Amino acid sequence: MASISLRDQQAIREHFDANLKDDVEIVMFTEHKSPIIILGREQCETCDDTRELLEMVSALSDKVKMTVHELSAARDEAAAYGVDRVPAFILKGAAKGRVRFFGIPAGHEFSAFIADIVDTSRGEAGLSEETREYLATLTEDVNIKVFTTPT
Amino acid sequence: MAVESSRVTGDVIEAQEFPDLARRYGVRGVPKIVINDTTEFVGALPEADYLEHVKEAVSGMEATPD
Repeated sequence: MASISLRDQQAIREHFDANLKDDVEIVMFTEHKSPIIILGREQCETCDDTRELLEMVSALSDKVKMTVHELSAARDEAAAYGVDRVPAFILKGAAKGRVRFFGIPAGHEFSAFIADIVDTSRGEAGLSEETREYLATLTEDVNIKVFTTPT
Repeated sequence: MAVESSRVTGDVIEAQEFPDLARRYGVRGVPKIVINDTTEFVGALPEADYLEHVKEAVSGMEATPD
């Protein structure tokens, strides 16, 4: 069961109050666990925990909204976001590009997730002038995958 | 970088939940960063070094003949 201590909830709430600018929407794609085991079909073991964690975070600020889609019922929308596996969620806000998350943002990744919400809300991530100037020259799309683990 | 550029998409992938992806991209240590499925590095780098890898990945794309 995903959980955030009351102390951490308060700290995040204060961090959001002080730093969030525009609204951020967390668009989540998930799959509910079926009581029937279907051979050849894997259940999503972390979907419920991920959804719980994201709902806890979104409850910590009026500026953080959450929408949840069942993957099986929202294939077109998932495809539009480039999502083909769950749990997955996208942060939408003032950020110019798209940031997709696959898997639960737990452990070490949790603080990065909170920081990403703030950056998405502000539309900026504290990059250097050199980086910003380079990004402005891009004429091709760039995909950056970051592999992480919770521990 | 995705936050500040509409050209950039960032994917954060939890390797333990998606072992097929971790295998496909040869993930043995984290964080592992893969840019445009071509340039890769392991470990957190200072921003300037990170940027050099992005430039390498992009210039590699532009250098590929049609």
